[in-house]
Amino acid sequence: MKARSSFAIQRDVIFAIFVREMISRFSTYTFGNVWLVLEPLLMMVFYVLLFGARGRGAYGFVEAPVFIFSAFLSFRLLWNSTMRKATSARGAARGLLGYRQVRLFDVFIARGVVEAGLYVLVGFLLGVGLYWFDYDPTPDNFLRVVQYSLLLWLLALSFGMLACMIGSVAREVEKLITMMTMPLMFLSAVLFPMSIVPREFWAWMTWNPVLHAMELIREAWFAAYESPVASPTYLIAWVLVLMAVAMSTYRLTWQRVVSR
Amino acid sequence: MIRFDHVSKYFPTRFGPKYVLRDLNVDIPDDRDLAVLGVNGAGKTTLLRLIGGIDFPNEGRIHSDRFVSWPLGLSSVMQGTLTGRENVRFICRIHGVESNADIEDFVKEFSELGENFELPVGNYSSGMKSKYAFAVSMGFDFDTYLIDEIMAVGDANFKRKCEEAIKNKRKSANIVLVSHNMDLLRRQCNAAILLAYGRAEFYESVEQAIFRYQCL
Repeated sequence: MKARSSFAIQRDVIFAIFVREMISRFSTYTFGNVWLVLEPLLMMVFYVLLFGARGRGAYGFVEAPVFIFSAFLSFRLLWNSTMRKATSARGAARGLLGYRQVRLFDVFIARGVVEAGLYVLVGFLLGVGLYWFDYDPTPDNFLRVVQYSLLLWLLALSFGMLACMIGSVAREVEKLITMMTMPLMFLSAVLFPMSIVPREFWAWMTWNPVLHAMELIREAWFAAYESPVASPTYLIAWVLVLMAVAMSTYRLTWQRVVSR
Repeated sequence: MIRFDHVSKYFPTRFGPKYVLRDLNVDIPDDRDLAVLGVNGAGKTTLLRLIGGIDFPNEGRIHSDRFVSWPLGLSSVMQGTLTGRENVRFICRIHGVESNADIEDFVKEFSELGENFELPVGNYSSGMKSKYAFAVSMGFDFDTYLIDEIMAVGDANFKRKCEEAIKNKRKSANIVLVSHNMDLLRRQCNAAILLAYGRAEFYESVEQAIFRYQCL
């Protein structure tokens, strides 16, 4: 045994959990690796049929598959999966916390990184697939898409972290989150742009930070689209405040949460 | 040296806080092997977890400059879906050990698992599991081993091997031992902590502690 700095320990631990998560991710299902791409693909095909079957020009500025691809994948993997994985981190890490090096925070980070990595991987594979079928899946402003995706990821991670800490006191939180998933997809303008939503709903819907993230990603992805409501400042403010709240909650309660 | 500095630990219950330790001040020198005594529910495992740094006192601090193992108990801290080898790799990684191949070989041989070593830990029988858990902990060189009633696992042959391995480790390491087997404690330890009535008492002599424990 040799003494390591705190930073080196954290790095080692995050890497170890990352590898462990990857292994269990790919070995849970018999067709683990295929299912990973297949699941969002099937969902996307379903929505393309549902919303895009009316033919060309449904969205005006882009074909339906690319539109769904740009938004659904970010919502599904970057927001939903990351948030859910962070929320359930405590239960999943119960065994890991028997080692003194492993802190709950490392589990959050590792799980978040796994989800972000899968998002990039699945996005790339599906993008290649779309390209094969003569669609143009590349974002018009790539760097902006990366920026807003990163913000969405941070939002999901902070939200999940907070939900996990609160969930250790009140288990109901997970139930609420499960109930909220489906409505949130429609409230976040995932399958339609805000420009087709009647103006009187804007004031209510724009409270939702995920909607801003989706609209900003869309705006960056399609040069032809200009969102009527998206505000980067609002999204960044949400991310900063939520991160601060989540981290302070963690800092104040982690010992109690772990020893429970 | 493991130093308890005004350490209190309690669990909140409906009947008010249930104390395990109350204002414990004790220095455990490096040449002491500690026996932990107490009736069921007195907080022996909690004390081990406190020393191991995976549970935390409500008041006070525990200082230690030693490499302390994770509590080696029957409730193993292995991930059931991973194979024996993958679990060992994980533990190597979090401990910053780069020579994981040596440890993998050691564990495979010591645990007598054979090809089961490549199968998920969740499918092991409880005997195999405890052999495996013990073998893993012997693969690492700690300064202090926290042992929670695990020294009597497996068949007679394996038991002998365990005692042998512990004896080897003892040349460079100490143990903190929780057990209800008084003979084992007498043989292995030269200091004791008795947990009773929500407090902890430190004894320089194991014999004295055992006497007190039997008079409870």
